[in-house]
Amino acid sequence: MKAKQLRILKRVMLWILLAVFLIWTIFPLFWLVSTSFKGDKEILSNNELHLLPQQPTLQHYENAFGKTHFGTYISNSVKVTLISSTLVLAAAIMGGYALARYQFKGKKAIMVIMLASQMVPLITAIIPMFVLYSKLQLIDTLASLIITYTATNIPFCMITMSSFFTRIPVSLEEAAQIDGCNRFQSVVRVVLPVMLPSIVAVFVFAFTGCWNELFYSIMMINSEKLRTIPAGLMNFVQKYDIDWGQMSAAASVTLIPVVVMFFAVQKYIVAGLTAGSVKE
Amino acid sequence: MKGNTKKRKWDRRWEPYLLLSPALLIVLVVMGYPLLYSVRLSFLNYNLMRPKDIYFTGFSNYARIFQDPEIPKVMWNSVKWVVIVVSAQFLLGLVLALLLNSKFRFKGVYQSVVFLPWAVSSYLIGLVFKFIFNERNGLFNFILESLGLIDGPISWLGDTGRSMIGPMVGMIWYGIPFFGIMILAALQSISTDVIESARIDGASSTGIFFRIMLPYIKPTILTTLLLRVIWVFNSSDMLYVMTDGGPAYSSSTLPLYVFNQAFASLDFGYGSAVGIFIMLLLTVYALIYLKVTKYHEAGDF
Repeated sequence: MKAKQLRILKRVMLWILLAVFLIWTIFPLFWLVSTSFKGDKEILSNNELHLLPQQPTLQHYENAFGKTHFGTYISNSVKVTLISSTLVLAAAIMGGYALARYQFKGKKAIMVIMLASQMVPLITAIIPMFVLYSKLQLIDTLASLIITYTATNIPFCMITMSSFFTRIPVSLEEAAQIDGCNRFQSVVRVVLPVMLPSIVAVFVFAFTGCWNELFYSIMMINSEKLRTIPAGLMNFVQKYDIDWGQMSAAASVTLIPVVVMFFAVQKYIVAGLTAGSVKE
Repeated sequence: MKGNTKKRKWDRRWEPYLLLSPALLIVLVVMGYPLLYSVRLSFLNYNLMRPKDIYFTGFSNYARIFQDPEIPKVMWNSVKWVVIVVSAQFLLGLVLALLLNSKFRFKGVYQSVVFLPWAVSSYLIGLVFKFIFNERNGLFNFILESLGLIDGPISWLGDTGRSMIGPMVGMIWYGIPFFGIMILAALQSISTDVIESARIDGASSTGIFFRIMLPYIKPTILTTLLLRVIWVFNSSDMLYVMTDGGPAYSSSTLPLYVFNQAFASLDFGYGSAVGIFIMLLLTVYALIYLKVTKYHEAGDF
């Protein structure tokens, strides 16, 4: 009897803790989305706050897209992010394959370079980059962001990609080669299709890495027309009168692509994050 | 025929380098070269506003680091930031991983949802927490007042003694899933046989945790801690968005301080010197960490 009570108690504890973690995780995001549908009066009242909007309104969405350049910022962010992540993906597939399948001189050195580049503080990199980009007249162009994001996201994505490759048995390629494919064909026709989920996951890593970046995006771009999302969002809160409503609406829209992608490939993201760092 | 195979072998030898060249080229040119360049900048008197006034100054930029009256304060802030944020992320991440390692219904969906912060950008979460910790209409003050814990609104982000609390909460929220994911993966690689047989031998749950699970996941914990300390130390989005290091540098960490200084004064010589100084600090930290934890395999992660 006592053992049974203990088991029930444990079960209840488990459910309580699970609920606490769930609420703690969801709440900030829920609050953001909820605020985005509240009217200004409700947002600014300090003696009455409600979980859900009392008089739901789309006013902030209309203003964010109608009265500010947020639409332009989104289209710039989409451009920069898609181009960078595609470049990252291509480099990561090629390099990841080489790291996984070949033994060659300098392999260890290349791994060290890639890992070390992950440790470089942004502040150490951004000052010389700013000077060099100014000299190359790249400041205030979307190209500056594309180049930077491609470089900063390659190391992690390539190492992850390579650990995904090592999980695919070599025999798969060998079989294709016996059937008359050359090495390139065997990879493109047999290995890559099998790895499609991993490839998508690495693309999502690159995508979120570019989409979520703040400092380069606010330092490298000055023109209104070329700004990306972070600069736009900062604009809503750095002014003298902070516009929480518009910020919430714009931020909620910004969340959509990463949240959708995250849920689509969540399983592989977990596999990717832990790849290599956990000994099996 | 013989010449042909020889040629193919030669091709083979170059294949990996060819495949790696785009990645290496971009990383070395876009990150490697600027780093070397910043070493050069750190020895120059270099202000972007005075392009005609550039000259070699030896170590004087580095000497300035030790004369800068704000540096001890922001370094102490960095220590507080890293220690509090990383330990909270780690402990809560460990609890989360242990919860997820048990069986319950809808586990798949639950896991997806609690790992969600990983996909969200830290600056955006900073904005949300800035709103929650806002003095006048923020939710946090509202809750405290409703519970009768405070009489009037408290300035969480604008007070020198409290300005780091909000960003720390945001940062802890942001980093729990990463620890959770890493530790959960390690826990799941423990064979269930080991735990079952320990249980049959009469080991208690706490005994199993401390004697079997913890030693087994120690390498993962050590690696993750090493990486997270460096990452949290460098990460300034949350602080930049919520307080911008203020008031009076009370929430400035070393990287954020340099960033604000460098781009306000455009004194890139000094900024580069502090940047190099930060890199050296991190390298020394990593070496000491690896030595103390005797974690030789860390090179393989």
